[in-house]
Amino acid sequence: MSDPIMNLSNEYTPKGWKPRKEARLEEIKEQAKEFGTVEAKGVVPAGAPFPKASPETGYYGIPLLKQPQWKPEIPIYFFVGGASGAASVIGALAHWTGKDRQVARDARLVAAAGAIISSGLLISDLGRPSRFLNMLRMFKPQSPMSMGAWILAGFGTFSGAAATAQILSDRLGFGPFRILGNVAEGFSALFGLPFSNYTGVLIGATVIPVWNHNVRTLPFHFGMSGINAGVSILELMGNDSSPGLNRLGIISSAAETYEGIELEMKRDPVVNEPLKHGASGWITRMGGVLSGPVPLALRLAAEFTGKRRSRQLRQIAACSSIAGSLLTRIGWVRAGGVSAKDWRLPLEETKRPRVQKSQSREDYPHMRKIS
Amino acid sequence: MPGLGTSFGRGGATTAQSDLANADAILIMGSSMAENHPVGFQWVMEAREKNGATIIHVDPRFTRTSAMADIWLPLRAGTDILFLGGLINYVLTNDKMFREYVLPYTNLSTVICEGFRDTEDLDGVFSGWDDIKKRYDHSTWQYQNVETLGYDEGHYGGGGHGKEGTGTSHPNGCERDETLQHPRCVYQILKKHFARYTPEMVEQGSGIPKEQFLKVAEAFTSASGPDKTAAICYSVGWTQHSKGVQIIRSAAILQLLLGNIGRPGGGILALRGHASIQGSTDIPTLYDILPGYLHMPFFKSGHNNFNDYILRHKSRKGLWFNYDTYFINLMKAWYGENARADNDWCFDLIPKLTGDHSHFGYWLDMREGKMDGLFVLGQNPAVGASNGRLERTALSKLKWLVVRDMVETETASFWYNSPEIERGELKTEDIATEVFLFPAAGTAEKAGTFTNTQRLLQFRELAIHPPGDARSDSWFMYHLGRRLKKKVEGKVGKRYEPLQKLQWNYKTEGPLKEPSISQVLKEISGWDLTSGKQVSGYKELKGDGTTASGCWIYSGVFPAENLNKALIRSPKNYLGHGWGFSWPNDVRIIYNRCSARPDGRPWSERKKLVWWDEEKQEWTGIDTPDFDKKKRPDYQPPEDATGTNGLAGDKPFILNADGVGWVFAPTGLMDGPLPTHYEPLESPLHNPLYRSHDTNPPEDKKIRPDNEYAPIGDGRFPYVLSTYRLTEHHTAGGMSRTLPHLAELQPELFCELSPELAADLELVHGEWACIYTPRSVIEARVMVTPRMRPLWVQGRTVHQVGLPYHWGYNGLVKGDVTNDLLPISEEPNVRIMETKALVCDIVPGRRATGPEALKQWKAHKEEAA
Amino acid sequence: MTTTAFLTDSTLCIGCKACEVACKEWNELGDDGHTWTGLSYDNTGAVGHSTWRHVKFVEAAPLLGFGGNAPDLASWTFSSDVCKHCEVAGCLEACPTGAIVRTEFGGVFVQPDVCNGCAYCVVSCPFGVVQKNSHDGRAFKCTFCYDRQKEGLQPACAKACPTESIKFGDIEELKLAAQVRVEELQSRGMQDAQLYDPIETSVKGLHAMFITRGDPKQYNLPPNPEVPTVYLESAWKSSALAAGVLVLGGLFAFLGSARR
Repeated sequence: MSDPIMNLSNEYTPKGWKPRKEARLEEIKEQAKEFGTVEAKGVVPAGAPFPKASPETGYYGIPLLKQPQWKPEIPIYFFVGGASGAASVIGALAHWTGKDRQVARDARLVAAAGAIISSGLLISDLGRPSRFLNMLRMFKPQSPMSMGAWILAGFGTFSGAAATAQILSDRLGFGPFRILGNVAEGFSALFGLPFSNYTGVLIGATVIPVWNHNVRTLPFHFGMSGINAGVSILELMGNDSSPGLNRLGIISSAAETYEGIELEMKRDPVVNEPLKHGASGWITRMGGVLSGPVPLALRLAAEFTGKRRSRQLRQIAACSSIAGSLLTRIGWVRAGGVSAKDWRLPLEETKRPRVQKSQSREDYPHMRKIS
Repeated sequence: MPGLGTSFGRGGATTAQSDLANADAILIMGSSMAENHPVGFQWVMEAREKNGATIIHVDPRFTRTSAMADIWLPLRAGTDILFLGGLINYVLTNDKMFREYVLPYTNLSTVICEGFRDTEDLDGVFSGWDDIKKRYDHSTWQYQNVETLGYDEGHYGGGGHGKEGTGTSHPNGCERDETLQHPRCVYQILKKHFARYTPEMVEQGSGIPKEQFLKVAEAFTSASGPDKTAAICYSVGWTQHSKGVQIIRSAAILQLLLGNIGRPGGGILALRGHASIQGSTDIPTLYDILPGYLHMPFFKSGHNNFNDYILRHKSRKGLWFNYDTYFINLMKAWYGENARADNDWCFDLIPKLTGDHSHFGYWLDMREGKMDGLFVLGQNPAVGASNGRLERTALSKLKWLVVRDMVETETASFWYNSPEIERGELKTEDIATEVFLFPAAGTAEKAGTFTNTQRLLQFRELAIHPPGDARSDSWFMYHLGRRLKKKVEGKVGKRYEPLQKLQWNYKTEGPLKEPSISQVLKEISGWDLTSGKQVSGYKELKGDGTTASGCWIYSGVFPAENLNKALIRSPKNYLGHGWGFSWPNDVRIIYNRCSARPDGRPWSERKKLVWWDEEKQEWTGIDTPDFDKKKRPDYQPPEDATGTNGLAGDKPFILNADGVGWVFAPTGLMDGPLPTHYEPLESPLHNPLYRSHDTNPPEDKKIRPDNEYAPIGDGRFPYVLSTYRLTEHHTAGGMSRTLPHLAELQPELFCELSPELAADLELVHGEWACIYTPRSVIEARVMVTPRMRPLWVQGRTVHQVGLPYHWGYNGLVKGDVTNDLLPISEEPNVRIMETKALVCDIVPGRRATGPEALKQWKAHKEEAA
Repeated sequence: MTTTAFLTDSTLCIGCKACEVACKEWNELGDDGHTWTGLSYDNTGAVGHSTWRHVKFVEAAPLLGFGGNAPDLASWTFSSDVCKHCEVAGCLEACPTGAIVRTEFGGVFVQPDVCNGCAYCVVSCPFGVVQKNSHDGRAFKCTFCYDRQKEGLQPACAKACPTESIKFGDIEELKLAAQVRVEELQSRGMQDAQLYDPIETSVKGLHAMFITRGDPKQYNLPPNPEVPTVYLESAWKSSALAAGVLVLGGLFAFLGSARR
């Protein structure tokens, strides 16, 4: 990224600063000396560089947008939320299909724990944590964060209820607890569906260029990442021989692999740069690799090997997926910060792609025509 | 100030800021009005927007004012007289004079005595130049057939602030030639004097290309005549030069020739450098004048008495005929009953000047250890005065120093924190000065008046009491005076009399026992001592001791017991009548008799201001007439008439003894009756006009080892340096570097220079540079900007460097003191220093700290040119 | 209550920064640190949580004989930036606590007693105005001097501006005045004078409009500001798709496997 202070006009380079011995330049200087003015407008006499504010350099290259001001808690929350939201759905499905009781049981705990940790992370990120309940003052469909607050509220309530009911019914063997628990599990899964991927909506529907440029794929991407992580956490809790989990894991890591390839193939020059260059780029790519091809390969292999081997492979795949999911969130949030610092993007963005320098009027078709 | 005073009679702006909106052209020079007088600048904007006025800004830099102007021209700092002289020459050669105005209202037709020789005859000096004493004898500058007392030789030690159209000439029977053909009439002298100030010479000397100069000349001079007027605004960019007064004189001559003085949208707006500097010259803190621009008496045996003093300053005609009245009223105000006719109104009790008691005059004495103590009130000479090193070192020679300010200024902390301490030149343990720092009250914490740049008095009421021990200056002075009087009570001896006889019975009010400022203002406005009633104006003041007034020009501000005009805020018209009190007599545009023809009709409907009402037989109009209300326009005075009765009905400049504007100033100025271009005291070039005299001859350079100058063309210091202000800070920075909201707007000292110079010297924008002069070295951040341009002057490129001067070593934001670079110099009339044009060298890199800095500076000085 | 607006006319601005300081004084804001930027006379950089009015300095090379008011050349122009108080405001739509509301005067106002510092508004403003103060915890921006307007006063910046470059008043009147002014400037020869008021974007126009000389991009005024709610539709669709994959994928995964 160019240094804002030395953002120079296009007419000359800063190297050397010795006046260039060019015939035309000498001519212009003579003209300036004699007449005090030169005919060609926009000619800058050769000299040392100085900062410029111009349509080409923006306002001295100072970024127009404000950087996201979230603390590290937020990408971690994205990860935890995604995993636990997905887990609740996985558990519910495992339960209703009657195929994997253990997964269902573990999933309830993962969901509840995830809800508690998520709340803690979010509250800790707030500037005024004591006012966290203000999040529930409004129900605003047009604000993804408002929807997220309500979704978390619902998810937390029901996943907590489900887990509690499960624990109590284990201890006390009280029938109604089991039924209550199942109902709660159902609602928890209902809330878990959006909870696992709404964070993609959250960052996609913002002014940050790299986020809103990818708004069509971000929620899906985060959702798949959440499934990946949810599956992996459940596996590491002892469910690494569950066939359903592995299949689901293959689906999600296949989706992640596709996402990664598609992103790499995209030719959008400037907007997606933070996802491919610099620290944010490496983290995102690493996250992509660890979420996509690595667990995909391992899980596929696990499908076709023996029991013990398969379990080992799946454990590795799980660790990779968890790391990948976490890195992916961290990478995307960092990329947002980098994208906000790019002074060029908000000034160039128009509805049509641009290839050359534009006239100001054309760039502003919406401005009132003054006759 | 004397520039305007000698030309017109009063040393102050001739118009109100709001009147600028009526101008058809405005020349802003020697000022960046938008930056330093932003509120007043709104009327320049109005002129531009509503009147279509052409705004011209001539300045070495392209500033925020230039950004609002229609035409901007860069000029070499210090060549203002060349430019203005060029305009005068343009007016004369192209016959652009407003003849119907100039002939009756100025002394253009007056014939000067035979012995007069111009600078063109004597290669750079006027007749009467004494090269040994370095001063002029004015006797050859006088009008033909007019006697004058001439100048007291010793008087030169005094200053020139009071040198207005003084009464030392008795212009009875001065000869006039209305055809302007007489070889010694002012017109012919003027033509000859400015004959060589051609557009080519302007280009050669100041770097302004001929076409651009002609463009400005045409734009400005065409806004003249019955239907149009043009105004000139200037500020410290003109006054702080070794010939500042003469620069202003050039503008005065130009405006007189174009017929712009005393007319709406015309005039010269002297933009004072501070919110109340006008007030501090009206009720002066200046050493050489008394309130109302009376002269401080000068001690010389044989002349040290009241009668001689009055004889010297009283004139037969014009307002200064009443000089003795004004003086007596002042004495009555100060000494009350103790001032009587039989003791010459306590004339013997007021201090007399014995030499140069100006700031630099006594500061250099202080440097030599001749002073015991000093009060510094609301001033910061350690940063604000030239040659900071000398200033601060001088402070260390005092026995005691009292500083009153709202913050701990650099002056107060010089003894433990200053560049001299840092460099080891001074050691805290060795400084014997006892420093007292008194907290001062801020603006809203005290009552009082401001007198702003347009002579407008505005009273401010106390809004909140000052915190803690902070007190106002009036509280301090009043109680100090009270205690001193107590100390000398009952003592016998002539030296105690001035204090003993001083009338000091002001009421105090409030919990802090503040002296009643209203009472002080009443005393200034004046009252009748027999009846106890306020007087309504200076015309009611009597010279027999029955009235008293602390300042005759302010008389009328408090005309009745509960009527404080300075406090009223109900404006009735665009000139602001009803808002505050504009001296004299609430006249807003002074000399406004000029806005009417000699026969009393306005010049035009568009430019009418005051006119003669034939029915009512009096002067009337939009402004208060600055004229005898009942004097007919065709009035001719009898031979022996005195005072303003001695002036005809078409003589508008009532303070001048001949009633006309002085294009040629026979008295009042130390360095010539006409302005002449000289180079600044430090310049890269010689004077293109005169070989024998590069700089202003009577200028006092105060050359000493710690106040060295670079000779003209010194190769060690090849660049022109100019210092200036920024909007965001206030002068020496005490009130702005200490406030976070202002300090953050301009946090660091920077120098401005052109991309060409930066390329030549490999200076990088944003990095540091050291600026060297023969006095000191400082460091500043480099700002490379195309707003600075190199100029092509006398066949070579001249680069200019700009430095704001607001930083010091205290406060939230700190920086080097720019004024350390400047020399101490004294302009001959007002003894002001030259800050706007000097020479420097600039080198990339940071200044060394500690004693190394001195070595760095000395090494630079000693290297061969 | 009439809807009020700002019209900041940069052709009348002298760059004195009285607006910046008046705003800070009235609202008792802190300073932004004392660093020299070297970017012309602008040491502030941008509006933020402790600067709500910010004067921008756009410097180009002047030519001899041409002042900044010359129609041929805009050499040094100043423009006082402020919160745009958009007709459709990104920050307002995004705020989950409802702290950001529209006042009866039409301005966008952050209620400091409700804001809990989630900083979602910060990433929802297409002009980069609102910012969280990390020491205080809450988000801040120009209040349009809501407290002053309630008492019938003008905002502090408009009051302080010596040349009336900042005009304050009824929005319809100001829109008309803006058009008249731009026409007048162009008739004087200033072909580069234009009004910045993006009414045809999703922001639907501003309550703080700007007349600038030259391309607004050099003042960091974006050509195509969008309220991020325009992305919501695509976003939630993608979310639904993910949810669908989770359910169907899960069903497929478990149904198709052996019981455990």
